[in-house]
Amino acid sequence: MLFFLETVITGLLAGVMYSLVALGFVLIFKASGVFNFAQGVFALFAGLALYDFIAEGGWFHDLFGFVLPVWLGIIATMGVMVIVAWLVERLVLRHLVNQEPIILFMATIGLAYFMEGLGDTLFGSDVKPLNIGLPNGAVDFLLDNYNLYIEKLEIFAAVVAAIMVTVLAIFFQKTRIGRALRAVADDHQAALSVGISLRTIWVIVWSVSGFVALVAGIMWGSKSGIQFSLSLIALKALPVLILGGFTSVPGAIVGGLIIGVGEKVAEIYAGPFIGGAIENWFAYMLALAFLLFRPQGLFGEKIIERV
Amino acid sequence: MAYERNIGETILSVDQISLSFGGVKALSNISFEVKEHEVFAIIGPNGAGKSSMLNCINGFYHPQEGTVTFKGQKRRRVRPSEAARSGIARTFQNIALFKGMSTLDNIMTGRNTKMTTNIFWQALHFGPAMREEAEHRTQVEKVIDFLEIEAIRKTPVGKLPYGLQKRVELGRALAAEPDLLLLDEPMAGMNLEEKEDMCRYILDVNDEFGTTVVLIEHDMGVVMDISDRVVVLDYGKKLADGTPDEVRSNQAVIDAYLGVSHDDE
Repeated sequence: MLFFLETVITGLLAGVMYSLVALGFVLIFKASGVFNFAQGVFALFAGLALYDFIAEGGWFHDLFGFVLPVWLGIIATMGVMVIVAWLVERLVLRHLVNQEPIILFMATIGLAYFMEGLGDTLFGSDVKPLNIGLPNGAVDFLLDNYNLYIEKLEIFAAVVAAIMVTVLAIFFQKTRIGRALRAVADDHQAALSVGISLRTIWVIVWSVSGFVALVAGIMWGSKSGIQFSLSLIALKALPVLILGGFTSVPGAIVGGLIIGVGEKVAEIYAGPFIGGAIENWFAYMLALAFLLFRPQGLFGEKIIERV
Repeated sequence: MAYERNIGETILSVDQISLSFGGVKALSNISFEVKEHEVFAIIGPNGAGKSSMLNCINGFYHPQEGTVTFKGQKRRRVRPSEAARSGIARTFQNIALFKGMSTLDNIMTGRNTKMTTNIFWQALHFGPAMREEAEHRTQVEKVIDFLEIEAIRKTPVGKLPYGLQKRVELGRALAAEPDLLLLDEPMAGMNLEEKEDMCRYILDVNDEFGTTVVLIEHDMGVVMDISDRVVVLDYGKKLADGTPDEVRSNQAVIDAYLGVSHDDE
């Protein structure tokens, strides 16, 4: 029983990490109907940039001979992500207004490869341990009293994710800019006609998702170092999104949790019977089942089609 | 008209507008003026360039030649968001609503240009942003009352029947408290009763708020009834403008509508 509980909790916390990446996807999808394939690379890019601002081995240190304190490094990285967002709007999106979603999607694939190459060139391709002083190790209290092994870092990530989701949900539902974001997602022309500037909205939304990518980058980087495999997590976020619904912020979280738990439980309890490595494909099978029976996901906006 | 309005100075003046898409000339040398508080109709056969004309006025299209002067500001290339901010609101021929959002939220987006709090307060959803939200909600409720759509306030607009969607779209335009309201075929596809309702709303808006209305419409009965002046376009050229009576008796207009062969084709 205790082992089962530990499995579930570990799964939940791993799920939080998936959710963090999925959240970035949802934001951009909600606001521009674009599935941003580059989101995983954004997280990687943010992590790399942060590392270089605050670590001894980074080029900021090479250039100026000192490193930034962590908080300043985070702000500077956020600045970098805003610039990236602005450039994406300026160089990519602006020229693709009113194009088919599939074209925008292809553009983000290109963007993903470009950013990955750029990150490689700028920051190098070795694994970088990111240490910004987040708590790590097991939660002693639980380990001593209940013999449960749970990472402090993962608890911390869960708290951060919870706060972020709350803020974002309010932002989207209750504010003018949130409404403008949803409006842009729905109909470009109509949004323009009520005085919403597409350019501003796109810069805002890509910046916000850049911020989410930064948080995801920090969490993943603290957990397993910043490495290029981080961009592959984007693929894991896809089933998370199918489960939760592409347009739902809470959906991204719940989807991430279900996949996190499902993977771990399936691996441990069903693995021995069918040869293991379930963790690698479980999420995709689950997504497939969802596509068959509930294509809008758990929380996605109902697809309304009048005929 | 039963009531009297003060037709004022020129609010919108379109001067020598020419617009082409590649080799296709959509508009050539169109000029007309719209006076304050007027109901002004643009009519013409299909493909005459009526919608293109509206798109030039609100900045969706940038004409290659000519200028649009709105409230004394002369401009050639204007962004749609700037046009909206300067007081131009519009509806579309094929309804362009935010389908996943409720009626209320759709109309709230119309208040976009009137909202001023910055993104910082917005993000926190606190302080000034919250107060502002409440004020605008009050305005939106007025629009909802005016259009008699209280019952569908919370309904996602994608689920509404066509006629009501048209009404919500008008509501969104009205929420911006525009000086100039552009309506692209507001009555297309409606039944008689819905058309009468829509006419009444248009006239009421014009009457109560003094909003200048420029509309495109195919139903000649409606156009001749509610418009103060009419401009007729055909193949991107202006055939005539004037009061409904003048236009009705204009030979070029009669030819265009009854289909006399065009020598210059």
